[in-house]
Amino acid sequence: MTSRGADVKPGCAIPPAALERLKGLLGERFSTVDADLLSYSHDYWPISLRWVLKGSFPWLPSAVAWPENSFEVQEIVKIAYGNNVPVYAFGGGSGVLGGAVPEKGGIVVDLKRMRSIRLNEEDMVAEAEAGVNGYYLEKYLNSKGYTLGHIPQSLYVSTVGGWVATKATGQFSTKYGGIEDMVLGLEAVLPWGSNVIMKPHPRTSTGPDLRSLFIGSEGVFGIVTRAWLKTCLLPEERILLSYVSETFQDALESVRRVLRRGARPAVVRVYDETETKRHFYMFEEAYGRVVTVIIVEGDSKIAGAERRIVEEEFRGRMLGEEPVKHWLETRFMVKEASEFTPLGVVFDTIEVSVSWSRATSLYRRLVEAVRTVKGTLFVSAHASHFYPQGVCFYFTFAGVPKGDPEKYYNEVWSVAMKTTVENGGSISHHHGVGRQRRSWLKEELEAGFELLKKVKTAVDDKGLMNPGNMGL
Amino acid sequence: MPGKWDWLKDELRASGMASAAPLVLRFIGGRLRGPDNLVKCALCPNMCRHACPVGIVDGRETTSPAGKARVALFLRQGRLQATRENASPLYACLSCDACSVWCPFGFSVADLLRPVKEKTAGGVGFKEFREVFENLEKHGYVYGEPKPSDSGSRTGDLLYLRGCTLREKHPDMSGKAERVFQHLGYRSFTIDETCCGMPAYNLGNTSLFRKLARKQAEKIGSSGARTIVASCPSCVYAYRVLYPKYGVEVKPEVYHVAEFLEDRLKGLKGEGSVVVHNPCKLAVGLGKPQVIWKILSSVEGLTVKEPRRSGRETFCCGHGGSAVPRLNPELARRIAMERGVELTEEAEIIVTACPTCKQAFQSNGFKALDVVELVHILLGGEQCSR
Ligand SMILES: Cc1cc2nc3c(=O)[nH]c(=O)nc-3n(C[C@H](O)[C@H](O)[C@H](O)COP(=O)(O)OP(=O)(O)OC[C@H]3O[C@@H](n4cnc5c(N)ncnc54)[C@H](O)[C@@H]3O)c2cc1C
Ligand code: SF4
Ligand code: SF4
Repeated sequence: MTSRGADVKPGCAIPPAALERLKGLLGERFSTVDADLLSYSHDYWPISLRWVLKGSFPWLPSAVAWPENSFEVQEIVKIAYGNNVPVYAFGGGSGVLGGAVPEKGGIVVDLKRMRSIRLNEEDMVAEAEAGVNGYYLEKYLNSKGYTLGHIPQSLYVSTVGGWVATKATGQFSTKYGGIEDMVLGLEAVLPWGSNVIMKPHPRTSTGPDLRSLFIGSEGVFGIVTRAWLKTCLLPEERILLSYVSETFQDALESVRRVLRRGARPAVVRVYDETETKRHFYMFEEAYGRVVTVIIVEGDSKIAGAERRIVEEEFRGRMLGEEPVKHWLETRFMVKEASEFTPLGVVFDTIEVSVSWSRATSLYRRLVEAVRTVKGTLFVSAHASHFYPQGVCFYFTFAGVPKGDPEKYYNEVWSVAMKTTVENGGSISHHHGVGRQRRSWLKEELEAGFELLKKVKTAVDDKGLMNPGNMGL
Repeated sequence: MPGKWDWLKDELRASGMASAAPLVLRFIGGRLRGPDNLVKCALCPNMCRHACPVGIVDGRETTSPAGKARVALFLRQGRLQATRENASPLYACLSCDACSVWCPFGFSVADLLRPVKEKTAGGVGFKEFREVFENLEKHGYVYGEPKPSDSGSRTGDLLYLRGCTLREKHPDMSGKAERVFQHLGYRSFTIDETCCGMPAYNLGNTSLFRKLARKQAEKIGSSGARTIVASCPSCVYAYRVLYPKYGVEVKPEVYHVAEFLEDRLKGLKGEGSVVVHNPCKLAVGLGKPQVIWKILSSVEGLTVKEPRRSGRETFCCGHGGSAVPRLNPELARRIAMERGVELTEEAEIIVTACPTCKQAFQSNGFKALDVVELVHILLGGEQCSR
């Protein structure tokens, strides 16, 4: 038995001289110890969780590095480039599609030791290094009277760099936007080891926006080392509203009317009948119907006006504050994978976006399609993020397949992606592409995929930045 | 009212899949306990990472809360060999239980790791811990042979349990505490105490912990004390929470000194500003996050500040849990610095209620007082060096 107890070897050997240079650069912050290699051979992709459960990993990194500043990231990347060694940026490892898994071996660069924060109150801009923990940043800003307004369910786990790299969005996005609306400037290390800074101006008209090369890039164009983020004042007032509607469609239509009038509640979530039963079973009058939770917040005068718009437009019975309080209390209770994976249940979530005009048909068809896959126990959804133009549906499915769990899992993903494309949706609203969705990116982008591949070849000529991720 | 799992039963019925998922049905029916807690933690996305001082400051997956559970699982499964390098992450834990405050299952990673430390990793035989075990076996004192010291009066009506760290690092605090008790009308006395056993417990040597617990309980019992107060929240946690679990009884109940002072101090006056650092075992372990704050805010004229992470959401000084300062002193120092900087953004003087926290901050250049020392100063004991 090797000390990692498996016959798996890292996919790429680092030449001894390069190893020595990396050790010289980072000392204790560079490791080839088995416990570290196993710890970085998965993220929160359900397939890789099964590897954890079995203790057997198909892909291992060759080494892990924990740089403390941009200079060290540049040096690591230069050494890797000079020795043709792949590099994988790693944040909180909360990505759910295998985007951080070191498929071809090489060096995992964990950014979490880079965690300085600076707040410029006059400009309302926070400067955060890539490894800053989400909660840590929000807590810091709150203590100074500000918020980022970016509250993904993975807030406690994920990092600023990971948010940028996956184009993440949070639960309060209907008011504050996704991370792409918050990023004012970026610093990144390019595949050959140079540094680039995209300065934090309020707005510029200086050619194509280079920030977008990194927002949603999932580590394939370089490593994000710092971000300048817009901040908002902590809300003066928070208003909690909830409704029960007879159908999913009624509730969605109500939200559409609210947004059309320009109101921007921070949180809007509409749960289908199954998810209402699941999350709000203690509210008997809602059981088997459709619950919507809404949080309006901000300056009290603006929030008051938005509240009136919601109350005027929403067609449903008001349920009061309690369901929203319940949602606030339970929104970080993540237990399912821990409880059900070891029982043989295959479980995952799939988020897609779609315009209003095709929303309900996409929802219905995707649910029907997943139900046809043999082994499926249930499929349900809530609408989690809203725009005047459309909506994000967040589906949850679970199954107990008779045969290979991975086969069942891929089959569900496949029908879900196919149905989304056929019904005019986008295959990902905020989780990104990673390794699970990569075979579908071409369907989504069509000719754009060839363009993306050309950009990849031009920026990462040796193909060393997170190779294979996003199908690039 | 419908039940928590009724929705899933409905779905299973509707999909005709009920018979295909017997384990799920037994689990939701409460007839199957499900996976063991270490497995659950290993499969968690690290929902307490933000609260874990090691997770935040060390920044490594391997030593994050779920990361440690995964390493423990791999060691338990035999997928990782129990070498020193592979087992070290299990000891990158402060036993601060900050994880339990946020965990949806209420787990403390320190508790989940302990059985693996005992069974698998215990064999690694870290030399840094061997010395601790030898000291505890031989002298009942974590630092070796206790220095001969003025151990105060041997008779009185309040037994003051000083604990190893106070005796070794801050022996002057014993006299200060005695004067504070005197002010409250008590005559305190000390005994030739044995370590409460927490270091052995934290390092995964539960048999030694039991032995020390029995010895110390006997000494406390034979003192005949009717009131018992201890300086260290970890010791109190051992007496009140752990000893009963291991069948050892300490009677009467032991109070931590801050709990004892909470409602007894009246009419104190002070000036200036201080910031509160809650020791983990007091705030989380004993569930008393407000005591220090209450004592200090009863002092007229004193401005009491709280840091960003306060109450139960405290942040360890980096020196708890016996293992980190011994195996990785640099990490312990960095955690102490992180917390010290956060605290001193509010006020220059840190007030805590734990000899180890005080030591951690002082040795890193911060001004830190135990609450007993502050009360002693306010009672006119000596000038506060501000
Ligand atoms: C319980 C749970 C809830 C979630 N909720 C949400 C949610 O509400 N909204 C949401 O958008 N997502 C959510 N996610 C998904 C995930 O948290 C996000 O994608 C998050 O942004 C990933 O951040 P991370 O720091 O964990 O990145 P990682 O998982 O470490 O990495 C993700 C990808 O980004 C790349 N990467 C990471 N850091 C950098 C960097 N500095 N430079 C370049 N590339 C980098 C990696 O190589 C990888 O491809 C959730 C996940 C979980 C497990
Ligand atoms: S007990 Fe403290 S140090 Fe250990 S895992 Fe939990 S939070 Fe981290
Ligand atoms: S202690 Fe709880 S929250 Fe923390 S990693 Fe383990 S299961 Fe997750």
